[in-house]
Amino acid sequence: MRENIKAVGALMKREIRMLAGRRIYWFVMVFAPLFCFLFFMDLLKDGLPKKLPVAVVDEDNTTTSRSLVRSLNAFAQTDVVMRTANFSEAREALQRGEVYGIFYIPADFRRDASTGSEPVLSFYTNDTYFLAGSLLYKDMRMQANLANGAVQQTLLLARGENQPVLAAKLMPVVLDTHPLNNPWLSYSIYLANFLLPAFLCMFVMFTTVYSISDEIKRKTSKEWLRVGNNSIVVALLGKLAPQAIVFTAMGMLYLSLLYGYAHFPLNSGFFPMFLAMVLMILSSQCFALFVTGISRRSRIALSVCALWGVLSFSICGFTYPVRSMPELAQIASNLFQMRHYFLIYVDQALNGIPLIYSWLNYAALIVFLFLPLFILPKLKQDLLEFKYLP
Amino acid sequence: MFFWTDIYYVFKREFYSVFRDHAVLTFFLALTLAYPVVYTFIYSNEVAHEVPVAVVDHSQSSASREFVRNWDATASVDVVARCADMEEAKMLMYKKDIYGILEIPENFSRNIALGEQAHVSLFCDMGALLNYKALLMTGTDVALQMSKDIQIRGMEYATKITEEIKASPVKIQDVKMFNPQGGFTSFLIPAVLILVIQQSLLLGVGTIAGTERDRRRKGSRLPVGCHFCRPVRVVLGKAFAYLPIYFVMGYWVFFIVPRLFGMTQIGERGELMLFLFPFLLACAFFAIAMSFLSREREMPFLIFVFTSVPLMFISGISWPKSAIPEYWVWFSKLFPSSYGIDGFVKMNNTGATLSEVLPEFWGLWILALVYFIVACLLYKIEYRKLKNKKDLVIS
Repeated sequence: MRENIKAVGALMKREIRMLAGRRIYWFVMVFAPLFCFLFFMDLLKDGLPKKLPVAVVDEDNTTTSRSLVRSLNAFAQTDVVMRTANFSEAREALQRGEVYGIFYIPADFRRDASTGSEPVLSFYTNDTYFLAGSLLYKDMRMQANLANGAVQQTLLLARGENQPVLAAKLMPVVLDTHPLNNPWLSYSIYLANFLLPAFLCMFVMFTTVYSISDEIKRKTSKEWLRVGNNSIVVALLGKLAPQAIVFTAMGMLYLSLLYGYAHFPLNSGFFPMFLAMVLMILSSQCFALFVTGISRRSRIALSVCALWGVLSFSICGFTYPVRSMPELAQIASNLFQMRHYFLIYVDQALNGIPLIYSWLNYAALIVFLFLPLFILPKLKQDLLEFKYLP
Repeated sequence: MFFWTDIYYVFKREFYSVFRDHAVLTFFLALTLAYPVVYTFIYSNEVAHEVPVAVVDHSQSSASREFVRNWDATASVDVVARCADMEEAKMLMYKKDIYGILEIPENFSRNIALGEQAHVSLFCDMGALLNYKALLMTGTDVALQMSKDIQIRGMEYATKITEEIKASPVKIQDVKMFNPQGGFTSFLIPAVLILVIQQSLLLGVGTIAGTERDRRRKGSRLPVGCHFCRPVRVVLGKAFAYLPIYFVMGYWVFFIVPRLFGMTQIGERGELMLFLFPFLLACAFFAIAMSFLSREREMPFLIFVFTSVPLMFISGISWPKSAIPEYWVWFSKLFPSSYGIDGFVKMNNTGATLSEVLPEFWGLWILALVYFIVACLLYKIEYRKLKNKKDLVIS
């Protein structure tokens, strides 16, 4: 036992020397994760995109229509960058991507509204740009409804109704929305909390596969096993522990920056997220180990990990809910570590519900930890006998 | 004359090495064939349908039941539970049985009857914004419609038409352009298609370069004749080997995949091809230039795979360009994919003509030229290094 501990120590030293000595490890373990963090925190720093450009086609050009445009411009997310009386001019700007939406006020709008001939206010959004399109849709629709209200208000005021009754007359039924735990509807909270760990997950898997296959490639795998007392468990512990430590440190940095520095909602306290992060990193290592054991060629293992890492960004359901995916994708999503991390994040950090409701996801991450058991004997054999295949 | 024989020699060798190496084939063919299909499959339902919600109805009146009925009738909402109190509903939310709670207060119908404003509250789980959006939109619609009905009921002695006009003097019409379902596929997939081309080239060419360096390190001498002396010829030869493959793959990715999945496709085909040519060229030279980063066969994974996501974000598709800081916009101009996505989306999805995407079109030509020069320079440096080491057999 003591010998084994000593061997692990010796291997860890060996591994740290290897990791520190090569630029590529510095890149995947330190620089790339830091770059991703800086990039996304800087890109999303506003939370919500503000001042999205729209065009207004004002064929009416009266005080009423101008005041409509003014109040549209006052919305934080809308910026009227173009006023024209010509619709095709606005459409071309839309096609060139200069504006994301068009607000169209028809000719004789004021006259028609006051004489009751029902003018039509139209607004167009370019939904090829999904986020910009939906945000503008919301603002323009609100503005169109307000226009309705404004016209009614003048009609009612003229009949001598007073203010509170007026509000009730204009909007007898009102929907109050409460976006739980993200009342600012901030996209940075929503995106950064998933994107950053997902990058980390990918880097962990790459490092694991690459470092093991590198031993085979450089024909040092026998020596590696020998230092580890010819025990595959000892050898792997010595190799993967330093990587786990570095990545956990990086994960802690992420968490402390997300919840400490950026003050994103953390309603569960630090521990559940810490546990999730550690388990996510370990399960990614074990998954990568499993894949390495199964496939003989390192490039296939790397391909599988790349596929897993990249698919995580869509199949885990953080932009597009898993519930709405085809059945097969719903089932497959459970095979991704990040899916469980994401669910834990929503339950714990975002919603702060009791830990017991997340037990299934924690358990799923733990299941990943047992995957390598299936391939340990084969991996040992490979390390001893196997030659590098390109 | 030697110019073309050298190019032909390099081309032939590169072409062989693409088809002999399964790793490269996986990137060039399998990845580009399969990836768009997988993505489209995941997003094939386009929008969030029938989001399960619970209703806590304290009012228990015909008005409140009408609200719930109308809400449930929309395609986005499915009322799966009626709870006696908020606690019960919260438990369901914890269990992920529902993603939203609608609470109707006790005084709901009384307020309506008294002509006061009646409020309903919608609580949403913010784990998935798409669910929130679906619930909010339909909820607002129902509230507006009901408001209108109540207004009309309040007007006695009015004809049907004056009722309608008084309740909504202005008609509202909204048009979702170029993506009529407001769906996810039509918005995300075009960008994915462009990125797949660039990234698969990066990975494939990186693998070829890494393998060559691996062999060199092992000491096996390169079978390099003077066909490899002149950087311009080598870079051109390599690019000519990738381009025909990518013309075929490009046709699949840009024309067949969108048609298979019924995506918006209103661009003029000839013009689109004219636009995609400089894109493929820029990608090929970009990949050759970047392949100098890959010192080993396995390295492209570690260097290139993760860049897809940041590239997606700075292209202006996921995150509106007007909200991207200036310096990142400049940074994005270094990558063919940014111009490619911009131009392709504008032409393919919004029906712009080539003359409307000229900035992107010329941007791609400039990038192609820049990366061609960079690739030549890098090759020259490496070649000189190798010659100094006397690793080459000059025949």
